[in-house]
Amino acid sequence: MSITTPAPAATADPYRDELGLAAPVPASHGQRRSPDEGFSTGPNVGERLPDFVLRSASGDLVDFHVDRGGAKAAVVFYRSAVW
Amino acid sequence: MTQLVELQNALAEFQAAGIKVYAISYDEVDALADFARHHGITYPLLADRGSKVIEQFGIRNHFVTEEQVPYYGIPFPGTYLVDEQGLVSAKFFQRNLAQRDSAEAVIDSALGRILLGEDEPRAEGGSDDFRITAAYHGGGGTIKAGALRQVVVRFDLVDGVHIYGDPVPEGMVATSIRVSGPPGFHAGAVSAPPTHAIRLPGVEADLPVWDGRVDFTIPVYVDDRIASLMAEAEHSEIEIQIEVAYQGCDVHSCRIPQQETITLRVPIAPHVGNELAGRLAGTVATTMPSRRFLVRQIVRGWVRSPVRGLRYLLGLWLDIRRGVAAAK
Repeated sequence: MSITTPAPAATADPYRDELGLAAPVPASHGQRRSPDEGFSTGPNVGERLPDFVLRSASGDLVDFHVDRGGAKAAVVFYRSAVW
Repeated sequence: MTQLVELQNALAEFQAAGIKVYAISYDEVDALADFARHHGITYPLLADRGSKVIEQFGIRNHFVTEEQVPYYGIPFPGTYLVDEQGLVSAKFFQRNLAQRDSAEAVIDSALGRILLGEDEPRAEGGSDDFRITAAYHGGGGTIKAGALRQVVVRFDLVDGVHIYGDPVPEGMVATSIRVSGPPGFHAGAVSAPPTHAIRLPGVEADLPVWDGRVDFTIPVYVDDRIASLMAEAEHSEIEIQIEVAYQGCDVHSCRIPQQETITLRVPIAPHVGNELAGRLAGTVATTMPSRRFLVRQIVRGWVRSPVRGLRYLLGLWLDIRRGVAAAK
């Protein structure tokens, strides 16, 4: 799903992106820069999600495919919880 | 990070749909523990130190260079929905890195239908035979900066009647929906479920129709004129106008074409901005994780060189000043 509406009256402000959103780093910074078409979004629909084992906030080691125990899962990759 | 809170708010719906939730970032375990405590997060926040899993998935943001501490190692943000066998059944990535699909969009995808929340803003239209419900769907029905939401226009048609998709013969009216709002409100293209074909007496061609329950969805977002990461919102709600045109028929006869405008009032969520920026700009109360982050950055910079530490602080302050100015 993507928004096809044109961006609002564009200002030349480097801290405002093409959707009209401001943030505390310039829109051209890698952290905010929008990937060009075809950027990698990892494993494809129909593929098995790769195995991974990571420590959780509560200190436990979580082995993803074991932990979900045959249930469906949503795996969310986000930038940071601290900024 | 408000996305994590949104996921928590939708956790009961995830559980009802049989979906476990996991969130992954490159943050330290103790920072995640701070965040979980502060925001009451009960699903696993996983610490991918060194971005090994992010790298393994091939989704590291390659625009960020190693010198760009602390951003180096972040992913292109996105969500995978995994089925019982562990296979990816859907994925949600946005080209604009500020935009996120709502938790509800992920749940709908797993259910194969749209589950409107009790507390999402709604408005009614239509008639007894053609009930129309317009709803603002996603994020518990609140407006937030950068978040993708949906306007859902739901037709509940009485048995035996249908409405039309395009094309229709001359003189008949196909269903159309137009969504608009105040300056700063943006609506994308209408997406509709597939039609099926019927043939009416006296009409040569097959006609594309919908019957029963039909959900039309329109992706929407607001820009900084309505809600911003960097400033308090001026208003507490917005009004969205939904113009609907349709014509209902059964196999014997057609009704008069209908046209109406439904008004949907949607609250703007209390300001949840970039915590660190908001703190320094005085618009958001800081939390432990953001304080920890700030201290970590300063210490790191100082250890390498005091000049670098000072430059970091000055740069941060300038960036925030400019970000706040851009939001006005």
